[in-house]
Amino acid sequence: MNIIQRLITSVLPADPESVTEELFRQKRYKRFRYSLFLAMNLIGLIPMMLTAGLGFSQYRDLLQREERDQLQWNMEGAQKTIEAFVHELQSVVNFVAHEDRYQELLDQNNLQILFDRLHKQYPGFVDLGVIDSKGIQQAYVGPYNLQGKDYSHQDWFAEVVAKKVFISNVVMGFRQAPHFAIKVTKKIPGTNEHWVLRATINAETLYHFIETINTQASDDIFIVSRDGILQTPSLFYGHILDSFQLSEQSTTKGQINRQLYDDIIDPTQLSEQLTTKGQIREVVDSSGKHILQASVLLKNTPWILILTKEGYIHGSHWSSFRQKLFFIFAGCSIVGLLITIQLSKILTERIRESDEKRHALLTEAEHTHKLASIGRLAAGVAHEINNPLAIIDQKAGLIQDILEFGGDFENKDKVTASLLGIHNGVNRCKVITHRLLGFARRMDFCEEKVHINEVLKEVLSFLEKEAMYNHIKFNLNLQEDIPVIYSDQGQLQQIFLNIINNALDAIGHDGQVTITSQVEDDSVLIGIQDNGPGIPEKTLQHIFEPFFTTKETGKGTGLGLSITYGLVKKLGGTIRVTSTVGEGAFFEVRFPLSL
Amino acid sequence: MTKIKLLIVDDEIEFAETLAERMELRGIATQTANNGKEALEMVHSSPPDLVILDLKMPDMSGLEVLQSIKSMHPSIEVIMLTGHGSTASGIEGMEKGAFDYIMKPVDLNDLLEKLKLANEKRSKA
Repeated sequence: MNIIQRLITSVLPADPESVTEELFRQKRYKRFRYSLFLAMNLIGLIPMMLTAGLGFSQYRDLLQREERDQLQWNMEGAQKTIEAFVHELQSVVNFVAHEDRYQELLDQNNLQILFDRLHKQYPGFVDLGVIDSKGIQQAYVGPYNLQGKDYSHQDWFAEVVAKKVFISNVVMGFRQAPHFAIKVTKKIPGTNEHWVLRATINAETLYHFIETINTQASDDIFIVSRDGILQTPSLFYGHILDSFQLSEQSTTKGQINRQLYDDIIDPTQLSEQLTTKGQIREVVDSSGKHILQASVLLKNTPWILILTKEGYIHGSHWSSFRQKLFFIFAGCSIVGLLITIQLSKILTERIRESDEKRHALLTEAEHTHKLASIGRLAAGVAHEINNPLAIIDQKAGLIQDILEFGGDFENKDKVTASLLGIHNGVNRCKVITHRLLGFARRMDFCEEKVHINEVLKEVLSFLEKEAMYNHIKFNLNLQEDIPVIYSDQGQLQQIFLNIINNALDAIGHDGQVTITSQVEDDSVLIGIQDNGPGIPEKTLQHIFEPFFTTKETGKGTGLGLSITYGLVKKLGGTIRVTSTVGEGAFFEVRFPLSL
Repeated sequence: MTKIKLLIVDDEIEFAETLAERMELRGIATQTANNGKEALEMVHSSPPDLVILDLKMPDMSGLEVLQSIKSMHPSIEVIMLTGHGSTASGIEGMEKGAFDYIMKPVDLNDLLEKLKLANEKRSKA
């Protein structure tokens, strides 16, 4: 509202006092320009900022959700595939360890045949061993000499007896190569004792398998044990059997999805919290990268599957997108600013121009009005004075008649001289009143075809003699093909007579008057230039006002130019005067051609 | 010009009487009237040869008086007196039958000249 009010008050006409205070007006326009600029910017920039901001955040959220979903699907797929693979291996070992084959498998040759067959099918199998209920390895096939080794003190031994099937973590063990083992416990028939078939599988099998299921949706995929040891090599987080550091990193708070950071997990907690459904977290790794980490328990194994993906909105694509967006926004803002600056400047200029035009019109109307009222007043006064003047004239005439018809008497000469004085005075008054009346009179407008050049030549013929006596030269520079205009010839004559007469008076003697006529646009232009003393600025302001004269008292009535002005206006023309003191004056009269 | 009978019509009594006196001095039988009504009565009772008629008078304007005189006695020649300083009203009077017009304040010699011309015109008719 405030801005609108300010706009309106800025556009509204300035009150009369302030019209003269040019400085104040300049300030108003400046203020108007600033408010306009501000308003336009607010209208333009705020929606742009809102749109860009909303769009940006919406797009970012969408991307993040999409990314999480992708990772989730990927994780679920990988989990199923790996579980199936492990299950297959497990089934094979379970199938081989048939209960009543214990005795058969204790035979080294039989075991060798079995291992060969297995190895053919699954090259990952490294060795095969049969362990009796006391934990002693009774039979062994493989590259290491482990016959007779005692496993009874190892933790897994007790566990495998209880669980029937046991899959171990990946270890180096005696074999000095990463491997894991699948152990199956079976009862020895006819006894209460158990035997264990132990198959060792190269960890690389697992690794190659994972490699084959890796997709674009994740940067890294690997398996860790429940106590945080890498079971397969990771691209970013270490070699096989290194401890997995990621979850130990402290995470920065205050980022998106804050709650994800609240559970800073250490490896042991990791397994407790995890379910086979898995979870996705956003964490910061040691190199400061924001990554999405998906982790899920693999069923029937001691393993956790982990997939990581660098957050898109923290990656280089996103930052370049953000940069582009910023530059586009900044560019648009700058272009917008430039446009609004220019626009508010142009608008303010237009308003100022129309204000000035209106002001000029008002001044002119005021001027015309002033002249008209002075004219009416003058006519009234002249008319009132005219009648007593006529009486004085007649009375004086009567006295003179009486003197002429009567006889001589004392002082007759003096009386006659006085009567002559009265007569002269009356005559001067007569000239003034007639001119005044002429100034205001409403003569019938007599429209006829007028050749402006001929009018000018005619006027000059009246004045030629006077000019010649005073050694003043007329220079004529008339355009030949000026079209005929419709105007009042007599009044035109009076106009030019007045102006040229004034020029002659101004020059006095020895000089020249240049008269030009030409067609400009749709009007005819008559210029009258003298090389007299010129007109001072102060006189120029009043030059068309009645009774304003610079001539000696008695020599001019001060009505010539005001009558001229009135006539020009009446004929639909304009008159203008410019002058430089010492160089002469220039009168320019302009009449429309299509009148 | 001794035979000429002149009537001066003007609401300015002083002006009319002074002018009349000057005319008498020049041997012209002159009467004065101070308004249109009076003038018409006088024209009716004893018609003059020539009339000097002021254009601007109260009650009845000079032009109205002119029209009445001309309708009663078309032979009477009328010279209009105009204080307007404009030729337009004089010309209008002439269109309505006035012989000529002359501007106030009057130059007596001009007036006498015009009277002479008017009388000559009347005599020819």
